[in-house]
Amino acid sequence: MDAAKKPVTRRNEAIGIALWAAGFAIPAFASSSWVAIAAMFAIFAITALSEDVILGRGGMFDMGHAVYFGIGAYTTAILNTELGVPIFLTVPAAVLLAAGTGTLLAAPLIRLRGDYLLVATIGFNAIFVLAMQNNPGGITGGSDGITGIEAPSLFGIPLFSQSAMFWLDWVVLGLVLFLMRNLDRCEFGRALRYLKQDELAATTLGVDARAVKTLAFAVGAGLAGLAGTLFAVQLSTVSPSSFVFTESVTLFAIVIVGGPGSIPGVLLGTALMFVVPEIFRDFAQYRYFVFGIAMIAVMVLRPQGLWPRRRNGL
Amino acid sequence: MGTFVQQVFNGLTVGGIYALIALGYTMVYGVMRLINFAHGDLCILGAFVGLTLLTGTAASGQPGALVLLLAFAVAIVVIAAAGVVLELVAYRPLRKADRLSAVVSALGASLLIENSIMLIWGPNVHVFPAGLLPDVIWHVAGATITFVQVMIIFASVALMAALYYFVHHTLFGTAIRAVAIDQDAARLMGINVNRIIMTVFIVGPALGAIGGLFIGVYYRQAYFTMGWTYGLYAFIAAILGGIGNIPGAMIGGVLLGLFNAFAAGYLSSSWQDAITFGLLIAILLVRPTGLLGEPVAENA
Amino acid sequence: MSGLLELRGLGISFGGLRAVDDLNMSVEEGQIVALIGPNGAGKTTVFNMITGVYKPTDGQVLWQGRDITGASPHRVAALGIRRTFQKIRLFPQMSVFENVRAGCHLQARQHWWQGLVGTRAQRREEAALAERTHAVLRRLGLHKVADERAVSLSYGVQRRVELARTLVAEPKLVILDEPAAGQNEAESAELNDTIFAIRDSGVTVLLVEHDMNVVMNVTDHIVVINFGRKIAEGSAEAVRTDPAVVEAYLGRDDEAEDAA
Ligand SMILES: Nc1ncnc2c1ncn2[C@@H]1O[C@H](COP(=O)(O)OP(=O)(O)OP(=O)(O)O)[C@@H](O)[C@H]1O
Ligand SMILES: [Mg+2]
Repeated sequence: MDAAKKPVTRRNEAIGIALWAAGFAIPAFASSSWVAIAAMFAIFAITALSEDVILGRGGMFDMGHAVYFGIGAYTTAILNTELGVPIFLTVPAAVLLAAGTGTLLAAPLIRLRGDYLLVATIGFNAIFVLAMQNNPGGITGGSDGITGIEAPSLFGIPLFSQSAMFWLDWVVLGLVLFLMRNLDRCEFGRALRYLKQDELAATTLGVDARAVKTLAFAVGAGLAGLAGTLFAVQLSTVSPSSFVFTESVTLFAIVIVGGPGSIPGVLLGTALMFVVPEIFRDFAQYRYFVFGIAMIAVMVLRPQGLWPRRRNGL
Repeated sequence: MGTFVQQVFNGLTVGGIYALIALGYTMVYGVMRLINFAHGDLCILGAFVGLTLLTGTAASGQPGALVLLLAFAVAIVVIAAAGVVLELVAYRPLRKADRLSAVVSALGASLLIENSIMLIWGPNVHVFPAGLLPDVIWHVAGATITFVQVMIIFASVALMAALYYFVHHTLFGTAIRAVAIDQDAARLMGINVNRIIMTVFIVGPALGAIGGLFIGVYYRQAYFTMGWTYGLYAFIAAILGGIGNIPGAMIGGVLLGLFNAFAAGYLSSSWQDAITFGLLIAILLVRPTGLLGEPVAENA
Repeated sequence: MSGLLELRGLGISFGGLRAVDDLNMSVEEGQIVALIGPNGAGKTTVFNMITGVYKPTDGQVLWQGRDITGASPHRVAALGIRRTFQKIRLFPQMSVFENVRAGCHLQARQHWWQGLVGTRAQRREEAALAERTHAVLRRLGLHKVADERAVSLSYGVQRRVELARTLVAEPKLVILDEPAAGQNEAESAELNDTIFAIRDSGVTVLLVEHDMNVVMNVTDHIVVINFGRKIAEGSAEAVRTDPAVVEAYLGRDDEAEDAA
């Protein structure tokens, strides 16, 4: 039976929508630092979901996803601080530039298999960070980055407050979740699954592997660019250290630890990697030590991830 | 001319170190098809273990060479043991699982080791004690060559020769190569695959510990994130030579060392790493299996 | 004479091995053609060259008179050529329904962004393709196992799922690599009817089969190859008695004696 028509799917979707709607109330009872954490959760959830398009659904080992996130953030930062472009108007540029970079990098890399792709994307991440640090043309601000990014304004009203910013991030997260849910039930999403599970069989059914994979990179990178805009706005500053290789590793780990191709899995992974550490702030120096142990433990005990993808129609 | 010879020697020194570390990556990849992301951190852990022994015994008035030998011996044993534990705990349970699970486990192990170093030795840079080795300096064609450089180059060459002999001319080495080609077939031929993999996790980290300690002795410093930096370089060296290929790792290490030395000598240093990574990507695109790797056949 | 599919002087080498050499054959529209030969004769390799999985080193593949030599697999699929695999290749994490639905990939006209947004037209198309998939499942008697994980089923059923995956695309030519392998006698008898039914629905069939019950009873035309070269061709009757074929399958007498 068609997955979309299954009662379980319907019920899970209803629960998801209810939780998302309830999320809008967070600023009503949480302190402002927790609202900021919730906003960060939304931003990183979008980024992790975008990584999932490439890694989880496409099965392509992208370990340089912070690049696209960074391109979005820098695009918004530069357009806003240098040219005074309003934040919302920088979004198309951020998304398109990130998607364009994803496409450009993907085109030659796609034929690389597994580990080689992983290594190449690590290389691109390193080059990107070095480029931002070296401040080409004096537009990226070097190691210090760019400061003074404006708050976005909606219909002339600037969204200064932490709560308003959170609501904005939350709306965008909802939008991206909607896209991801549709991805599961459209031909593009299916083609990715075919390619991941058996590329040769998929191509003999007419799947154009190159086109579909490139598109996955473009879509994943574009969504990461969108998250990058939100990130730049949230911090009102960007610097190379936010987009280093460790960030890419974290995004990669979120998808695999949470459950590749599983929306709740990726959200859970994001929460574990970004929100839980905030609770244990006092033990900050143990953060990555504990991450390391947790990553090994989860993989050994649950190699499919904490919340694996439910097989459609099964 | 002087600079040229100088860069050659600098390159060979660093290249020898890269090669020693690259061997660990390539051997593990060869038998398990796994990028052991924790390898670089293991090597630097070796540097720290050695450093602790050196600073602890430096004051005791023992001759420097003896102290140094002891430091190497202990580092080798500790890191080889750590390698075995790593294999047993983080990789063995995942042999049959999806490859990505093992990759993430390896990344977790890397974080764990790196941050263990930070928690034990602290986040600051540690300086290696001076005066352990003779301050002999040679002047060759206008270049200055130190005793440390000569020691590292000789030791790396000797170790690589020994490993090459072990892998290509002993029964055990043949078994390692058999497992690398086809694990199932090797098992059917009566080879104990677990033992082979265990051996690889002893030999690789042991060589890596030597490489790590060489880094410490050569640059006279150690810090906890060094594993990533040098690990990544060594890893690029392994890819350059053809990952999974042992002579390839040796050649890749030396070539990368030379390349870096010359890039540092003649090019802007802030773009040096970018150029190295650019080189890596270019190799992957043109010849993904590296200089010595065989092209992978596609099966329908 | 120009058939639906024509192979002209087709050949391929793997290193020093000449797997297929100077193969000429033609498949007429509406026929059931069998390609037979001993193990390792090069039959699967021929299929791989037709479907774009391997690029031939020599010769041509003509489709309706057009040269399609070396076209990539997805382009060959778009021409209406679909295949099954000797070593079954179903999507391991998918149900029978999803596996068969995968065959409709080229029938889906939606753009990717329509899918992401979930437009009404896209959802309507999804529903239509699901219905089309169910129809094929019913036709091949797979509707009862539609929600089972495909690779958990018996070999015989898995082969039928692969067959359904080709038929759902309404191809012009299906290429079946040992469709009877792993099937029991009842299933292989049923297969004969299925193959006739496929042909009667207007689909041309090219198959490789070792099961002589299938080969001799359903085919219009048989091509025999050995060591990559064609050694005989003709009707089932003609091929059965051809001395070269008998020799290829049974070995020469003196060899048989040596072996004994
Ligand atoms: N990718 C490849 N690389 C090297 N050799 C190959 C390759 N594919 C096929 N061969 C060789 O080509 C020859 C023909 O193989 P093929 O699979 O086409 O035989 P077949 O007639 O289908 O046999 P069977 O009845 O056993 O399926 C064999 O010797 C095989 O080993
Ligand atoms: Mg065959």
